[in-house]
Amino acid sequence: MNADLEKALENYLLAMGDDELILGHRNSEWCGHAPILEEDIAFANIALDEIGHASVWYSLLAELIGEDSQSYPDRLVFFREARDFRNAQVVELPKGDWAFSMLRQYLFDVFENKQLLALSGSAHRPLAEAAAKIRTEEVYHLRHTAAWVRRLGLGTEESNQRLQSALNELWPLTSQLFVHLQDQAVLVSGGYVPGGEKLRQEWENAVVPFLEKCGLGVPETDPEDDERIGRDTHTSHLNVLLTEMQSVARLDEQASW
Amino acid sequence: MASSDTQWPRFQVFLQEKEGAAHQDVGSVHAPDPELALLNARDVFVRRPDCVSLWVVPADLIFARTAQEIAAGALHEAKKSGKPGSTPETYCIFAKKKSAGTQTFVGEVEARGPVEAMEQALAKFAGAKPPFAWLVFPQRLIVSSTPEDIESMFAPAYEKPFRLATDFHTLTEMRKIMAKQKEEGT
Repeated sequence: MNADLEKALENYLLAMGDDELILGHRNSEWCGHAPILEEDIAFANIALDEIGHASVWYSLLAELIGEDSQSYPDRLVFFREARDFRNAQVVELPKGDWAFSMLRQYLFDVFENKQLLALSGSAHRPLAEAAAKIRTEEVYHLRHTAAWVRRLGLGTEESNQRLQSALNELWPLTSQLFVHLQDQAVLVSGGYVPGGEKLRQEWENAVVPFLEKCGLGVPETDPEDDERIGRDTHTSHLNVLLTEMQSVARLDEQASW
Repeated sequence: MASSDTQWPRFQVFLQEKEGAAHQDVGSVHAPDPELALLNARDVFVRRPDCVSLWVVPADLIFARTAQEIAAGALHEAKKSGKPGSTPETYCIFAKKKSAGTQTFVGEVEARGPVEAMEQALAKFAGAKPPFAWLVFPQRLIVSSTPEDIESMFAPAYEKPFRLATDFHTLTEMRKIMAKQKEEGT
């Protein structure tokens, strides 16, 4: 693998890891607060799975650049500033109400399922193997969140309205998931990762009919808006999240766990 | 009609640890419907242990009696209040063979109601050492995971790293820190 490819793959893995970490952390905020005990356990499980997946992507990144795969992920998580994170904004927004968190996780689950399916054929063998393995778990996440979205969408007038307003807020931000990283084209043409536009088509073909069946109206978006935000631009919410998440680790950088 | 009970219905959960083993009662979950009950059962009961199959059954449709209750005439009482169905159907029979054990699947009978099913079970499955309790329900009430679910619902748990609280040696570390503070006089 030449240096350009390696750098591009490094950026891609970082973005994947950051998406999962930040979404997992947001979802973990429901722990102890979900509407019912069983769902509290279930959603905390999903949050923990996503953080576990982040750790897999960070470890692959560490191996790629010759860093220690045990300690490097912790450096990435606890000692980077908000501007150095490469997650999409959609995962850093506050958890909102139950409908918002469920819908966000559903939209991300479909994205991840399509992405992992493509990545399981990646020319980078370690990435292909990890993607195939993680995907089995994501199939379950999707089943869980789709079941909830269906029930909220077709439930009561209030649950439908809450879900619709969540969709109105989330929808424009989803396009950022598919925007190419600066040097992604070289990875796509080399068969390392899927192209954003193709992934977006597959994702839309799955989520749009489903959301409509759940009694929701999918907002119109202006395709011109899609190019506007790169993954180096964040809302102020990310900073607040990181300050809390990193506070303990930063008390004593040398502490062992 | 407004109800003071805001809980979702309860579903009893039966778990099969490995192929060929009997399903065992592991507890219950609340859920608005059987599909979510199955998903909740996975999250509550299958995070770590082995599992190849899960059943969920509406808890209020399960008929369960202890041997003591049966000896005191519980089946006779139940017969008075419930009418048997006109056509027989398959009932699943569970028995608790040890006082501190769990209800474990022992077999099926054809019966026209839960009481008749339990009577048949007493005759058919009691064995030399009669069980401490019985539990029966119509087989049609089971919502089950499928063999295709194993890969996404149960298999990922096998490889999850799991650390017990004691692995972190918190007490030992705290003692070390306190000893050091004492030494430094802080």
